[in-house]
Amino acid sequence: MKLNQRYLFLLFALSFFSCEERKVPFQLNNCKTMPPFIRKLSGFNPHSSYFSTSDIRKMGLVLIEPDSKQGSVPHMYQHTSWKKGGWLAPIVLDEAGNIYSAPAPFINPLDNPIKDQNTIYWVNGQSGEMNTFLRLPMPDTVSTNNAYGIIGMLYLCETGTLYVSTVLGSDRHVQRGGLYAIDIKNKKIIDKITGWDIMGLGISYASGKRQLFFGDGRSSNIYSVNLNKSGNIIDPPVIAFSLDDLGPRGDDKVRRIMTDDNGNLEIHAIEFNYNLIAPREKQEATYFFIYDVNSNKWSYSTATPSHTSY
Amino acid sequence: MKQKNSVATQTNLFYPFLFGWLLFFSCNNPSPSSTSAATVLAGYDKDAMNAVLISADSLQTFPFVTERVSAIKKSLLNPLPVLLCQDSLGKNQLIAQLIALSDQQFTQYTRQEGTQVPYRNEVFGVYPARESDLSTLSGKYNLPDVYRVEMYNYGLNLSSYAIVNIKLQQVLYRAHQQQSQPDIPSFMQKLAIRIAVSSPQVQEALGITPSEKDALMASTKTALNRTRCERSHHLCVAPTFIKNDKALWAIVDLTGHRLIGIRWTYVGATGPAVAITEKKLKEDKITSCYCEMEQYLSKDSWQMKYMLTGSDGLRISDVSFNGKPVLRSAKLVDWHVSYSGTDGFGYSDAIGCPYFSQAAVVAWEIPKVSVLLDDHNKQTGFVLEQVFRSEGWPTPCNYNYCQRYEFYNDGRFRVACASLGRGCGNDGTYRPVFRIAFAGSKDNFYNWNGNGWTNWTKEQWKEQNSASSYSPEGAMYKLDGNDAYYVQPGHGQFRDGGRGDFSFLYITKHILGRDEGENDLTTIGPCCNIDYHQGPEKFIEPSPEDITNSSLVLWYVAQLKNDDRKGNEYCWAESALENGVYVTHIYPCLAGPMFVPFK
Repeated sequence: MKLNQRYLFLLFALSFFSCEERKVPFQLNNCKTMPPFIRKLSGFNPHSSYFSTSDIRKMGLVLIEPDSKQGSVPHMYQHTSWKKGGWLAPIVLDEAGNIYSAPAPFINPLDNPIKDQNTIYWVNGQSGEMNTFLRLPMPDTVSTNNAYGIIGMLYLCETGTLYVSTVLGSDRHVQRGGLYAIDIKNKKIIDKITGWDIMGLGISYASGKRQLFFGDGRSSNIYSVNLNKSGNIIDPPVIAFSLDDLGPRGDDKVRRIMTDDNGNLEIHAIEFNYNLIAPREKQEATYFFIYDVNSNKWSYSTATPSHTSY
Repeated sequence: MKQKNSVATQTNLFYPFLFGWLLFFSCNNPSPSSTSAATVLAGYDKDAMNAVLISADSLQTFPFVTERVSAIKKSLLNPLPVLLCQDSLGKNQLIAQLIALSDQQFTQYTRQEGTQVPYRNEVFGVYPARESDLSTLSGKYNLPDVYRVEMYNYGLNLSSYAIVNIKLQQVLYRAHQQQSQPDIPSFMQKLAIRIAVSSPQVQEALGITPSEKDALMASTKTALNRTRCERSHHLCVAPTFIKNDKALWAIVDLTGHRLIGIRWTYVGATGPAVAITEKKLKEDKITSCYCEMEQYLSKDSWQMKYMLTGSDGLRISDVSFNGKPVLRSAKLVDWHVSYSGTDGFGYSDAIGCPYFSQAAVVAWEIPKVSVLLDDHNKQTGFVLEQVFRSEGWPTPCNYNYCQRYEFYNDGRFRVACASLGRGCGNDGTYRPVFRIAFAGSKDNFYNWNGNGWTNWTKEQWKEQNSASSYSPEGAMYKLDGNDAYYVQPGHGQFRDGGRGDFSFLYITKHILGRDEGENDLTTIGPCCNIDYHQGPEKFIEPSPEDITNSSLVLWYVAQLKNDDRKGNEYCWAESALENGVYVTHIYPCLAGPMFVPFK
């Protein structure tokens, strides 16, 4: 763990003197709204359409409405600006229907130059046009042997904060990634952890705290940090649980974390070795973790999650 | 030309060759007939470097396994192809086993669907049921009457469970779990430890003589850890031998009855932190020895360095023959794979290191050196070879590439590669992009025009096709100057199954300090161009430079069309069920130019 020590000290000092929330009320963090521009597109039903960045023949963001007839070709739409980030990965929607996404190389870096892999793109919910939202800071040194940048994205409805994780610039021996908390209204980074490769992100209020969960780029551990009501990080990260020895591989890394109605966590995990093996080879495994109020611990469960909200 | 070991590591269906000894270039274990050394970069893991990987080609077997293998073969001939539990069972357990095996739902996966070819199945254990085994059942049962029968299918890597009531003579519940393995029975635990202690690599690592192996079994603190063979999907365990503060992990494959490899780990107070699996063992070794270190190879009259790159495959450099520099470097920049059935669909694959690389298909084994033999079994040279593979190969849309450098005693050398399929369809064309940089600073390049040699004064490219003509020496091109080589593109003359390269050849000028692919190249071109626009042309156009008396780089792009027709397979691979488990049959398409010295 390489959290900036001086920064941590400040965090502790601030949290000590501030009015600390005793118990944060449970929330679902489910405020996403379908972008209004879809209504202007002919033939698309906002209730049955979805956005995708994983179509192997269409680079960028795509709006898809599956045809109700089985075997029919789905209805697809791509705005001319939606390819500007190359191949993309995470998709996050806010309460205004704005879409946030980030690049991720697919098989090769031809359309995803390293210098652009720390760029957050957004699609204006009203106009449907994609533009650069913010470029995360670049590390001093960038390894060409690591084609990845932004990995995880999460929007915290309560605070209007976009959390973005990255592994950009890291090599086998040095971690140069981090986690950034961005106030989307002001497009400003309000908090960060640096020098740590951070993967998929998730949120839960199950423990009575506002907790951000994230995967580690170098292990199967999942860490948690407590957030205050402004979305700032108020404690140093701690290991919440691990995927070690679980699933078909036993050393999966977190791609994304979803939360069910009870605040339990559904971890979507893959093999990740900082190479460009095809995504279809990265067979995703899902692990469900339940929070036990009595023991104050997260435990692996073979149960099925209650309806996943985010 | 015969070869003592070849690209065909999976089966022997490739062109004829003789099995023989292998030369392994582990970091600290150079071959006896060559010298090897390395420069170590910071951050390497000594235990990973010193790990020993056992080649599947070594065909090492143990006499004590023979009896078991014949029992397995016999079981495959039975109407119900199941090997009964080999642990000693009580009367009730035997009854439970019989009841379970009479249940058609429990045994539904014992044969391949459709063909009815038998899988290798074995009952691993019959245990008294626990309360938890009855949790999904609605009725009330007397627990002492209920047994749990566990069976393993080696072919599908599938576990089957049956909850049996011997009093009612009924299977109460059955379940099947894909990619899972039941607890290892006692006799197989003993077998795994016996394979480990009988293996010379384990004996050497622990510093015991073969005659002491029985004592080792009895006295050494041995734990049988569970591990995974994630790649082969075989049943594997890891007998682990504790010595002082370290543990020697020996990964034993109980499907193939062989040792996969060994690695020391630090135990400390709480035991090893991370389990050693088949994949981890191999990838850590490859990374620490070949991605982070440059290896030196001196064999016969050849000297060179070699190293795995992040995206350009196995790179050789500073190659010399009898002390005379031949190549500055050679590597495989990209594999462009296009599918004709779907316009513009395909992939640009880089090959390289497993960790921190731009490789889409990663190094699968450590590089191998093997001996080349002529028709009279006389050694004529050697081969340096590297395999890159997708995890899911040979299932569709997974790839297997081989890079192969041949060096002959007479100074010839060949820079070659092969695709072993299987890709996303039977309408695929593979276009590997080689970059070969000659050592000389004053070279000239020529092509055969049917009557004589035409000198190239400017950077340019040329396509080889069915109408191409070859000089009396069998060459389409020649290099003359500091270096003097005829260049023979493949057109089916190498007796390796190759059907012709139909290559694009480009010559570009190398200028010191200007990087046109001298360092690791990111993807040089898109997947699906069918003309000369494969990437190297970007170093020629729009203003080709003068190349007279220059340091030259040769780029070579073969075009290999795959074929899945029975009996004509090419750039292809198929799985077949043999002796109850899946084996892969490979049909490589080998390509690459031969360089023949003429001075």
